[in-house]
Amino acid sequence: MTPDVFLFWFLALLIVGSGLAVLLFTNPVYSALSLAMTMVGVAAIFITLNAYFIAGVQLIVYAGAVMVLFVMVIMLFDIKSEVQAFTSGKISGAMKLIAVGLLSGLIVGGIIMGQKSFVGELSKDAAAQVAEANSAKMKRAAGADAATKELGVALFTKHIFGFEALGVLLTAIAVGTVALARSRGGTHAK
Amino acid sequence: MGHDSFEITINCIKLVLIFLMMVQAVPILVWVERRGSAFIQNRFGPNRVGPLGLLQLLADAVKFLTKEDFAPDRAIRPLFYAAPVFALIPATLAFAAIPMSVPLEIGEYVFKIQGYDMNVGIVFILGVSSLAAYTILMAGWGSASKFSLLGALRASAQVISYELALGLSIVGVILLFGTFNLTEMVIAQQGPLTFRAFGHTISSQFLPNWGIFYQPLAAVIFFAATFAESNRLPFDLAEGEAEIVAGFHTEYGGFKMLMFFIGEYGHMMLGSALMIIFFFGGYGIPGVTVADVRQWAAGITDSATQISVITTLVHFLSFMLKFVLFLWIFIWVRWTLPRFRYDQLMDLGWKTMLPWALGNTILTALVIYLIS
Amino acid sequence: MAEASGMPLGGVIFLTVFLAIFGTFLIFLARAIGGRRTNNSAAKRDIYECGIPGQDKRETKVSVKFYLTAILFILFDIEIIFMYPWAITFRDFISSGQGTFVFASMMIFLAIFIFGLFWEIKSKALEWD
Repeated sequence: MTPDVFLFWFLALLIVGSGLAVLLFTNPVYSALSLAMTMVGVAAIFITLNAYFIAGVQLIVYAGAVMVLFVMVIMLFDIKSEVQAFTSGKISGAMKLIAVGLLSGLIVGGIIMGQKSFVGELSKDAAAQVAEANSAKMKRAAGADAATKELGVALFTKHIFGFEALGVLLTAIAVGTVALARSRGGTHAK
Repeated sequence: MGHDSFEITINCIKLVLIFLMMVQAVPILVWVERRGSAFIQNRFGPNRVGPLGLLQLLADAVKFLTKEDFAPDRAIRPLFYAAPVFALIPATLAFAAIPMSVPLEIGEYVFKIQGYDMNVGIVFILGVSSLAAYTILMAGWGSASKFSLLGALRASAQVISYELALGLSIVGVILLFGTFNLTEMVIAQQGPLTFRAFGHTISSQFLPNWGIFYQPLAAVIFFAATFAESNRLPFDLAEGEAEIVAGFHTEYGGFKMLMFFIGEYGHMMLGSALMIIFFFGGYGIPGVTVADVRQWAAGITDSATQISVITTLVHFLSFMLKFVLFLWIFIWVRWTLPRFRYDQLMDLGWKTMLPWALGNTILTALVIYLIS
Repeated sequence: MAEASGMPLGGVIFLTVFLAIFGTFLIFLARAIGGRRTNNSAAKRDIYECGIPGQDKRETKVSVKFYLTAILFILFDIEIIFMYPWAITFRDFISSGQGTFVFASMMIFLAIFIFGLFWEIKSKALEWD
């Protein structure tokens, strides 16, 4: 087992484990913290793929911003009743069990599929691809930020309209959020 | 990891050493802070235990260790105990990515004087240190106290607000150097100050080529934002004693409190180190290049290893000198400025620093666009 | 480039695990060494309060401003993150002759950003009292 493979399995187990923890914890605070852990694990997976910038974005945006908001909201709301509703009751319990069952089914299915012959042929191609990717990796490692620069070039030539649309979209979300927070009838309306 | 087990071992030892260095620095900083504040406020400060009160550090450690380990009944224990452990992680992970000197060459091995060389140094550091908000929220929620919760709310809102100004002020720096890599930034800042515009080159004889001369506004915004990120005065609303007792660590005492302190001082060290890397030439020595130092070392000994060791040591000293200076500024400011009010704090972050940082970004881009 | 692939991540994971173990060890050490008082009155074990019965945190009502700040932070954070690849490629674009186009498109993005920021300020969403 090479270090790279070991690293992948370690991170994969971490992600799947914390993903399961999101489902299985009865306390939403722990669930949210586990989800944050999952995000950090995904960022680490991006680093193993040499996508350093994407890993940083995953850390900053998902683990550092979105999940902080989730944790903050869950912690600060009066969630005593929600905790009760979430943990007890046959329906929510059944839903959780079904969700976990489906997920395990997916995992087991993936493993069985991985042993079938047609995937075996694919994985031969995959081996060639890995070799190619490795040589590309070596090339890319020459300039520290080359991968990020590629990303930047793609973003500002091919996807420039998407980029500008994103700016408009984010502003629209900001405006909508403020409008909602100011609406009358809420507990904090003035 | 590295290629052979020797290299891996050395790298692991290096990481542990960096962490131990940070932990070691905390009691010394506490001592400097107490003596410094006493000096500023015309008092004596701790001067009983040992010469100049230096053994106070040891006495404090013993006191912390022998305190009763206590958690309130209502506390949510897993979070309550996990929060101080987690407080160590973000600052240390980020600090280990700081290049502190030129690489050490021993035989065929090259050891970087930094924990690990992340390709995207800045983005990694920003990402990891943004995880510090979880510590605050975990501590605040875990202690089940009203004061802790209010403190955690304030602190997390403050930390995330200033992260915006912090991230935006760095855009100007990235535009200037054109890289995310911290080592490349340091290398770019070596040599004398040189402006190149419209085919002319203006060079200064005595000023070094430091980022502060290109990005003074970004430096000010960045430095102010690091104060807010490390929850220090004048931004320590999170633990405003007059209002919410001690903020999110109201219920903590003894060693757990000390671990929060290590995290806080870690952020302070991280802020100082980043200031040096971005704006003050990193480990570079003004007026002298790395090659000059290497030549000077070659005049002393013949062995290649010794030359490398001397070069590394000289640059490490240069880094440490700047580092200590910035840490002192952190302490100095703490005892000079009063605390903000919360609305002033948020106004400063969102309405003053964010627009200024935006303006700095636009100005930098415009200048770079026009002169090239 | 022997250490290019897994090295930084290995270091990060090593340091994280080391810190977690070290921190846990410190907590247990402090627990083992620390003194024990026999006084276990209810007042001691209660959360901090000045002379009145401790209030549970669930009785604390929190202003919606904090959520608003967090959401606005996410939005602006994403916009700032998108400036990073621009900042790093800007010089390359200039040297390849596309500088004007990229500069203009970023200025449009920034104009939207500034519009959003000033709208927030004007709508008093960032007003604290």
